[in-house]
Amino acid sequence: MTPRVWAVGELVREVNATLSGAFGEVWVQGELSGVKVAGSGHRYFQLKDADGTLSCAMWAARADRLRFKLVDGLAVLLRATLEVYAQRGSLQLIVVEVTPQGVGELQLAFEQLKAKLQAEGLFAAERKRPLPALPQRIGLVTSPSGAAVRDVLKVLSRWEHLAVLLDPVRVQGKGAEGEIARAIRYLGRSDLVDVVLVVRGGGSLEDLWAFNEEMVARAIAACPVPVISGVGHEVDFTIADFVADVRAATPTQAAEIVVQRLEAQQRRVDTADDGLRGEIGLRLERVRARLERAAAQRRTFPLRVEREGLRLKALAAHVSGRRLRQLVAGAAQRVPTAQRLRQALRALAAGRRQAFAGAFDRLKDLLHRLETPRFRRRVEIASAVAVERLQARLPRARLMLEARERTLEALSPRRVLERGYSITTREGESAPLRDAAAVAAGERLRTQLALGSVRSLALGHEGRQGSLFAESDEERPGRRDG
Amino acid sequence: MAKETFEEALKELEEVVKQLEDQSVGLEEALKLFDRGMKLAKRCRTQLEGVERRVEQLLAEADAGEQPPTAPFAPEEG
Repeated sequence: MTPRVWAVGELVREVNATLSGAFGEVWVQGELSGVKVAGSGHRYFQLKDADGTLSCAMWAARADRLRFKLVDGLAVLLRATLEVYAQRGSLQLIVVEVTPQGVGELQLAFEQLKAKLQAEGLFAAERKRPLPALPQRIGLVTSPSGAAVRDVLKVLSRWEHLAVLLDPVRVQGKGAEGEIARAIRYLGRSDLVDVVLVVRGGGSLEDLWAFNEEMVARAIAACPVPVISGVGHEVDFTIADFVADVRAATPTQAAEIVVQRLEAQQRRVDTADDGLRGEIGLRLERVRARLERAAAQRRTFPLRVEREGLRLKALAAHVSGRRLRQLVAGAAQRVPTAQRLRQALRALAAGRRQAFAGAFDRLKDLLHRLETPRFRRRVEIASAVAVERLQARLPRARLMLEARERTLEALSPRRVLERGYSITTREGESAPLRDAAAVAAGERLRTQLALGSVRSLALGHEGRQGSLFAESDEERPGRRDG
Repeated sequence: MAKETFEEALKELEEVVKQLEDQSVGLEEALKLFDRGMKLAKRCRTQLEGVERRVEQLLAEADAGEQPPTAPFAPEEG
């Protein structure tokens, strides 16, 4: 029997046919190793377990449809056919489908993309941009129907001055990620909006999948204006959430962040505004208090003068007769002092009035600028009262002063002379004579009366018993006019 | 845009209030600060309320720098 001689290619074809007939499609479980992507896009790798290794090939058309990436060490279940690669004569698996083992396909894809973008630094805190001071023009990327858009608009309607530009997109299904990424790119371009909200209501991982696509993540990362994401419920984290500048737990929350920012700014302005008015209000209170103090000083000044006059009166009531003339002379000396006082008071009054008028004008000016009617009223009343008091006191002070001057005048030597008393001096001297014993007979004297004077020659003196007030020096008050 | 100056104006406003709280500042100076503060507060408010309320839906994209066509938008009830 002559053995059959095969051509190589022929034998390979026969083996392949046998393999195909014997095995058909096989499910093989193992771990990936030596994964390579060829220039053509085909994937080549080994499938290994403890006891063996098989070469595998997966054509680009199928491999590109995988959501996750084939990486070394990944435990997988392959659906494949067996064949001998004729060129090299090696057995290989032609892979049709890869299913990750122990972890869901989407979960795996999620973890893989997350790890990749994280490694690129796309989630880094320092990449996060702060929200604008005034997020007033809101770009909204979401479905025009559904709960999310309603929730967002409801919250946003709380702030009156806000413009929303909705770029309607599909948020799930094939191609949704492309629409979302495109909308983000479009709204983010120059000066259309201040912030972009990317939102979607809750759903399964499958439903939310578009937000886990690299394309969306890259669009968010590249967006020139800050992006707030609000996808699914609190517990859902998508890749979009990681890349976004601000991650909101839900669509409602995303809108809240915007509105609360505006409300916070409003509060800051209000607080500062209140602070301004409050502070200037305090200042006005202080000015008012100062005016009142000034008015009070004007009140006490003439009173002090009056007190001085009373003290003088009391003194005059208690002096001994012998001192009367001294007192009269002393009081007379004080008259010009009182005049100066009056002049001083007048000058003071004029100066104060001027100063007061200046302060009052200032106050009115302040009031004019102050918009709070409550403050204005309070200060106006206070100043009017102060002015009234001040004006009421001026004539009274003058009256008291005049009364005081009359008192002093009454004590002047002229008045004393008018009442019939006289002053006697030696001729040519000015010191009044007080002691009769000091006068010798034959001395020339000069007696000053109310009208004119008498010159006389002394005949002698009569001792001290004849003193005018000898009997009751201490009891008799000196005569005086009130 | 005026947006940048909002933050600046607000910060200055808060600074003015702080200065005004300083009791050693004289009346004349206080008056000036108050004046300045009121102007800043007004500017802040103008900006804070500078946008007219509207909700629009993008109908098509336009070239950069051009306003894209839009239509008013109201979500369906339900």
